[in-house]
Amino acid sequence: MDQNAKILIVDDMQTMRRLLRSALNDLGYTNVVDADGGASALSLLESGDFSLLITDWNMPGMEGIDLLKAVRANDKLKSLPVLMVTAEAKKEQILEAAEAGVNGYVVKPFQPAQLKDKLDRVG
Amino acid sequence: MRRFWKPDFDSYVAKILPGEYYVTRGGEWIVTVLGSCVSACIRDPKAGVGGMNHFMLPDNNREKWGHTDVDLAHRYGSYAMEHMINDILKLGADRTRLEVKIVGGGKILAQMTDIGDRNIAFVREYLQREGFLIAGEDVAGPHPRKVYYDVLTGRVRVKKLPAQSRESIAVEELGYQRVIETKKVTGDVELF
Repeated sequence: MDQNAKILIVDDMQTMRRLLRSALNDLGYTNVVDADGGASALSLLESGDFSLLITDWNMPGMEGIDLLKAVRANDKLKSLPVLMVTAEAKKEQILEAAEAGVNGYVVKPFQPAQLKDKLDRVG
Repeated sequence: MRRFWKPDFDSYVAKILPGEYYVTRGGEWIVTVLGSCVSACIRDPKAGVGGMNHFMLPDNNREKWGHTDVDLAHRYGSYAMEHMINDILKLGADRTRLEVKIVGGGKILAQMTDIGDRNIAFVREYLQREGFLIAGEDVAGPHPRKVYYDVLTGRVRVKKLPAQSRESIAVEELGYQRVIETKKVTGDVELF
């Protein structure tokens, strides 16, 4: 993925947002915005020119999977690459995300190299 | 996790090991034995759900991301906290009502480095960043601890263990640390 890509991170945990942002910065991606929930993420996505969405699954309010579905159902956003970075490693959940159209799935505690690999693949 | 009846508590007790956590609606105690590892005991008093984890930070020296925000220790520690908190929230807890107590982080052998202190510092920093207040703590010092937690009352009972137990606890923890530094620390799903 192009290093100028504008990336949105969505996670309800401040620690994880910071960690992901640092990992992206270290990989050369500096155009990074974050949101603490699905609803605020969706309005950011609709008003901005994002190249990639990285979202957690378990969040109060709108969950990551519902955010993914909303993105895929939105004419303007439906082809946006989406990565899930989540603590959920259950097979059914991964399949549900795959069926909903996720582009990559990384299980926490992820390795930065895995993140890089996914970014390279969706690019 | 192993569950057994404890007659003197007149209750079931769920025992967790290093690297595990357990979340419950109560009616049982959760127990673990801590040396330099830490446990966060977290509950929502109103919803009557909570849990306890048991973890330590891996050493960062094995990877090139050492000692940054993204380092192995931060990734693993955040995961250990977040995974349990997610499960507590799934059982109906409200994030704004969570009550947190922390236990452990001892320096149980004189020749051990500051592992316990690092674990305590991490948990404190994590909780502060996430906006959780610490309602109580029993940390540091030279003793291993046996810790019991009741999520319905929020009560934490700590038994300081005798000196002769230190070595076996240290050995178990170092074994656990070796595992998280090598293979188990990363999600292994490669579907896409």
